[in-house]
Amino acid sequence: MDARQFPSLLLAAPHRWLRETLLQVLQAWPGGVTTADNHDALLVAAKAGTDIVVLTPFAFGMHGADLLREVHRVAPRVRMVALIPDDDGDYRLAALRGGADAVVYESQADVDLLPTLQTVTRAEASRQLRRRSSRARWVKEERPMDNPNPIAELLTERHVSRRSFIKWSAALGGAAALAGGGLKFGLEPLKSTGAAPAAVAGTGEWITAACWHNCGGHRCLLKAYVVDGVVQRVKTDDTHPDSVDFPQNRACARGRSQRQQVFGPDRLKYPMVRKHWAPGGGDKSLRGRDEWVRISWDEALNILASEIKRVKDTYGNESIMVTGGDITRALTLYGGYTTTWGTTSWGTWFYTGPKTGLGDGLYATSHNDRMDLRNSQLVVMWGANPAWSSQGNPTYFYQAAKAAGAKFIFIDPFYNDSAMILADEWIPIRPATDHALALGIAHTLITEDNPKTNPLIDWDFLNRCTVGFDKDHMPAGADSKENFRDYVLGTQDGQAKTAEWAAEICGVHPDRIRALAREIAQTRRVALLTGWAPARVNNADAWPQMFMTLGCMTGHIGQPGRMTGVSCWEKSANGGPDLVAAGGSGVAGVGDNPIKTVVNNNELWDAVLTGQYTAGYKSVKPINIQMLYHGMGSALNQKVGLVKGIEAHRKVEFVVSQTHFLTTNAKYSDLVLPVTTQWEREGYVKGNREVLMWARQITPPLYEAQDDMWVVREVATRLGLDVAKVDPLPLKQQVFNQIAGAKVAKVDGSGQEPLVTISEADMAAMGVTGKPQQGRISLAQFRDQGIYQVQRRPGDRLGYIAFEAFRKDPEANKLKTDSGKLEIHCKSIAEFVKNSGFDEVRPIPTYNKATEGYEDTFTDWAHKIKGGFPLQLYTIHYRRRTHSVFDNLPWLREAFPQEFIMNPVDAEARGLKTGDIVRITSRHGSVMRPVWVTERMMPGVVTLGEGAWSQIDETTGICQAGATNTLNGAIATGQGHQGWNSCNVQVEKYDGTLEPDATWPQRIVFPGASNHV
Amino acid sequence: MSKQLAFFIDQTVCTGCKGCQIACKDKNNLPVGMNYRKVYEVNGGGWQQVGGFWESNVFAYTLPVSCMHCQEPLCLEVCPTGATFKRDDGVVMVNEDVCIGCRYCEWACPYGARQFNEQTGVINKCNFCADLQAQGEPPACVAACPMRALDFGDLNELQARYGTTAAVYPLPSPSLTQPSIVIKAHPDARRATVETARIVNLEEV
Repeated sequence: MDARQFPSLLLAAPHRWLRETLLQVLQAWPGGVTTADNHDALLVAAKAGTDIVVLTPFAFGMHGADLLREVHRVAPRVRMVALIPDDDGDYRLAALRGGADAVVYESQADVDLLPTLQTVTRAEASRQLRRRSSRARWVKEERPMDNPNPIAELLTERHVSRRSFIKWSAALGGAAALAGGGLKFGLEPLKSTGAAPAAVAGTGEWITAACWHNCGGHRCLLKAYVVDGVVQRVKTDDTHPDSVDFPQNRACARGRSQRQQVFGPDRLKYPMVRKHWAPGGGDKSLRGRDEWVRISWDEALNILASEIKRVKDTYGNESIMVTGGDITRALTLYGGYTTTWGTTSWGTWFYTGPKTGLGDGLYATSHNDRMDLRNSQLVVMWGANPAWSSQGNPTYFYQAAKAAGAKFIFIDPFYNDSAMILADEWIPIRPATDHALALGIAHTLITEDNPKTNPLIDWDFLNRCTVGFDKDHMPAGADSKENFRDYVLGTQDGQAKTAEWAAEICGVHPDRIRALAREIAQTRRVALLTGWAPARVNNADAWPQMFMTLGCMTGHIGQPGRMTGVSCWEKSANGGPDLVAAGGSGVAGVGDNPIKTVVNNNELWDAVLTGQYTAGYKSVKPINIQMLYHGMGSALNQKVGLVKGIEAHRKVEFVVSQTHFLTTNAKYSDLVLPVTTQWEREGYVKGNREVLMWARQITPPLYEAQDDMWVVREVATRLGLDVAKVDPLPLKQQVFNQIAGAKVAKVDGSGQEPLVTISEADMAAMGVTGKPQQGRISLAQFRDQGIYQVQRRPGDRLGYIAFEAFRKDPEANKLKTDSGKLEIHCKSIAEFVKNSGFDEVRPIPTYNKATEGYEDTFTDWAHKIKGGFPLQLYTIHYRRRTHSVFDNLPWLREAFPQEFIMNPVDAEARGLKTGDIVRITSRHGSVMRPVWVTERMMPGVVTLGEGAWSQIDETTGICQAGATNTLNGAIATGQGHQGWNSCNVQVEKYDGTLEPDATWPQRIVFPGASNHV
Repeated sequence: MSKQLAFFIDQTVCTGCKGCQIACKDKNNLPVGMNYRKVYEVNGGGWQQVGGFWESNVFAYTLPVSCMHCQEPLCLEVCPTGATFKRDDGVVMVNEDVCIGCRYCEWACPYGARQFNEQTGVINKCNFCADLQAQGEPPACVAACPMRALDFGDLNELQARYGTTAAVYPLPSPSLTQPSIVIKAHPDARRATVETARIVNLEEV
C-alpha cells in the first residue's frame, strides 16, 4: 500500500524517554513520523503541514487546553490526539474542549494509540457507517472488520512486537512501566479489531505449563501461549479428539487463572525484613502489622544463617521448628530440627484405612477404575463432592456411570454441585454423625437379614475375608465379647444401635435409614464411595473401619461394579495403580534427622505458647520452640487454631518464610524470601493414573525470585555445610531422571515398559547424563506434546478391580493387616491411637462422639437444649482455591466470593438474608463474611470454604477474609488428625460493611519495576 | 435459511464450575467486572419437618450464559453508531473503534451479555471467538468445559440433534430476540418458575 494514503504524524512529547518509547509504538506508521520536543518546535511543525499531531498537552508549560487551541489556531486542519494521564475526567474533558479529536491514556498508549489513530484516519468512513446502519435491523453488508484492512494488519503486527518490547510487564501491571502511570491490576484488554490476535497468528509457542497445586483434582493439562517470554493466553488439553473413553484432561477455573498468579502484581519481588526486627526478634508484637524493608539477597541470607546459628547455639536444634521445605536437607546436616506430625487431608483414613485393610485413598485405593464404575447399578456418594474437591475429569467419569444407568445417592449436609447433576436421591446428614448413620444401617441389616428368606448380609464374604464381625470370627487372642455384631445389638452396653438411635444423632429419618440399608444390600452391584471429609472430624478414628464394615457386610468389594472405599483427590472415580508414572528424581537422601522430636499439628501453637507437647501415651515433654521456618506451605493459615498460631508467631524469636506472595505465613514473619513458581523453573513432571505430563519453563525467574533450593544452598554454604550433599543434582537432571525412569503399562496388561526413547544426542542436547534407552515415544514427542496419555477403551486389559484376587482366595492373597484379612476388629489401630497419647478407642468401630460435633451444640442433650454455639460448621474445599493457593487472584475472587452458606430456616431465625454481613463465632475465634442463604444447606449446619488468607481486623480481632482456622480450635484427638468438620458456631448479623473480596487491594508490598523491561 | 452459529448448553451435566467463564476471561483479557460468559445458579424448593426430621424438596441447577447471537438482536437495533453488526454466519459483533459507549445495547440485551469496559469506555461481548473459529478451533468456553456441557454449531443442526428448547427459567421468552441457543434442560428446570425458584448468585454474575 502506498504510504501517501496514510496521514503524516507529528509526535510532540517533551520527555526524551516517553518520546522514544512512543516512537517505538509508532515506528511502523506508514505515513511517517516526525517529533517535536518543545513548544515552538510543535507549532512550527504543525504549521508546516502535518496531518495528525500526537501530543502531551499538559507538559509544555502551559494549560493543556490552551496549547491545543494554539495548535488549532496555527494549523486549523490538523487533527489532534491528546495523551493524558490516567483516569482523570478533568483532563479528558479539557482536552476534548480544547479541540482534541481523541484522547489516549498514557499508560494505555501501547495498545490504544494505533487503534485511535486508525479511527481518526477513518473518520469519514465512520460517519458514513453511522448513517447507513442507524435504521438497519441488522446489517449484512461488509463491515470494516471484514475488510482487508492494512491498518488492522499493521496493528496485529505491531501488537506482537510491542508486546515483545514491554515483555511481561504488560501482563503484570498494564503498561505502567511505559509511561510511569499508576499500576494496574490484572491484564489490560486487548483491542478486538477483528484481526486475528497474536495467539492464533502462529508467532509464538504453546508450551505445557505446570499446574502444580495440591488441588485434590485430576491433574489436568495446561498450555501457555508464549511470545518472547510473554504469556498471552492459556488453553487446556486439545492434543487429541475428546471422547469419554479417551478424554482430554481439561483444566479448571483455577488452573486457567494461573497467569494471574505467576505474573500477579502482588508477587513478592525482593527479599525483605520487618522494619522493627532485630537479632532475637526486636519488637515481636509488631509481627503482622510492621512495615517491610527491602534488602539484598546477601543481607537476607546472612540474617537467616546467623539466626539459625544463634538459635541453635542458644537453645539447641530442637528449638528450630520447620513446617516444610527443603531446608530440612541442610538442617539435618546441621544437627537437626523439630517438625510436625499428623495427617491433614486424609483425616483418619491415613492410619485407620491401611491398618484395617482398606487403602488410605491415595497411596492405595480400594475402589475400581473408572471403566468398571460404569458397571455399578447404585453409586453411594458419602461425603463427596468431586465437582468442588476433585476438579478436572472425575465428575465427568461419574457422569459416564450415570449415563450407563447407575442410580446415585448423595449423603451430605449440602445438596452439592455434584449432587445437582448426579443425584437421584439426596440424604441430608449432620456433619460428624456419619458413623451413627452407618451403625443404623448395620443394625437394620443384622436384624432384618435372613439368609434364606431375606438375604441382606453377604455371610460368605464375612466368613472368608474378615475378622471381628461376630464372636465366631475373632482374630487370635482377641476378647470374643469385643465383636461388632454384639456392639450393634447392644448386647453388653444395653443400647442397640437401631435406626431410631442413629436418627436422633444424624438427623436422617429412621424409615429412610432402613430403606437405605435395604437398597444397598439388595442391589447387586453397588459402589460405596466416600471422600476424606467425614474422617476429618474429631474422634473419627473408627469411621473408616465402620465404612469398610458396611462394605464387608453387603459384600460390595472385589467384583465388577462392586467396591467400597475412598474415592477422592486425584484418584476420584478412578482407582488402581498408575498406568503411566514418572521415575525417581535420583536425589539421594541426607540421612535421618538427628532430632527425633515431632509435635502434633493440633499442638503446634500450644507447644510454642506453653512449652510442652504430647510425646506419646501418658507422656508430656517440655519443648522450647524459638524459630519457625516456613520453607513452603501455609502452616499458619492452614493448621487448626489460627488465633493461637498468630500468638505463637509473636512469641518466638525468629520467623522466616519462602513464598510467592504476602501469605499469612509471610505476613507474620520477620524475614520473607521471594521464590520462583514452577513456571519459572526448568521443568516439572506430574500425572494421574492415565496421564504423564512434562511441563517446561515458561518464563525466566521474575524480579529477584530464586528457586527454593537455591535459598537452601546459600544457607548451607553460610553454615559451612557440604552443599554437594544438600543439593546433589541440578533440577534439569532431576527432571530428566523422572522422564527417563517413566514406565507405562503394556497394552496387554502384562507389565510395564519404558515410556520414552532416549539417545545420546537427546542427552547432549538437554545437557544431562544417563543411558540411552528404547521406549514407546521419542523424547522430542514427549517434550513437544508435553503429555502422554494411555489410550483406554472398555474391555481393555488395563482395568482395575480392587481386592479381586483377595476375594477369590483370601488365604493365598493375604492383606498387609495383622490377620491378613479385612479387620472389623483391629487391634493395631486401637494401639496406634492409644500410643498417640490423646485418647483411646476400641478395636471395633464404635460410635465415638466428636468433640464439637452435633451433641456438643447442646447444653442439655436429653432435653435438647441448645448452647451458645448451636450451629455445626464444616469447612469445604472451595472452588476459588486449592487450599490457600489462588486466594489472591482477582478473576477467581470475582467468580467465587467466599460466601458463608446457611439454610433459610436458620437465617430467618436470625433475621438474615443473602448478602448480609454476618459474624461467625466459635469457641476459638470470629470471622465475618457475606451470608448466602440457600435451601441447598440443611438446617442447623453452616459451611465456609477453607483456605482464605487470614485478614485480622486489629481493632476487633475478627478475620474479615473468613479464614476457617480462626474458627477451628486446635483439638488433638485420636490419631492426631485435624478435625476441621467438627466445629460449633453461632452466627449473628454484623453491623458493618465488608466490600466484596474482588475489590480488595492486592497485597502489593513493593510495586517496583521488573528486571526484565 | 442461511447459516446461524449457535451455542448448545447441556444443563444436565453443568456443575457451575465457571471454567468457561475463566477461559473466556483469559482469551479476551477481561478485567474484574466484565464477563462475556457467566454462570447463573437457580435454587428452589424448601424444608419442612416430618415427624421431627427435616425433609426437603430442594432443587438446584446452573445455566451458563453468554451472548445468544440472536436472530433478531435488540442490541443491534438500538446501536446508534453501527458498532454492532451481524455477520453472514450469524455472529453478532461489536466494533470497539466505532462504539461510543452509550450503553443502550447493555440496557436492551435481555441476557446481560453486553459488558461495559470502564477503562476503555466502550462495550464489548462474546464474539463467538470468531478469530479462533477462523483458525478451525472451537470457542474457548466450549474447549474448556470439563463436563462437556457446551457445544456449538449451526443452529439448524443443533436443533435437529438436541431439540428446540431455547429458554428455561430464568431466561426470557425466545420470541423477544430469537436467540441462537439450544438447551438440554436440567430435569428440575421443569419445576422452576418465578414463583418456585430464583437466581441465587446475582452477586457473582
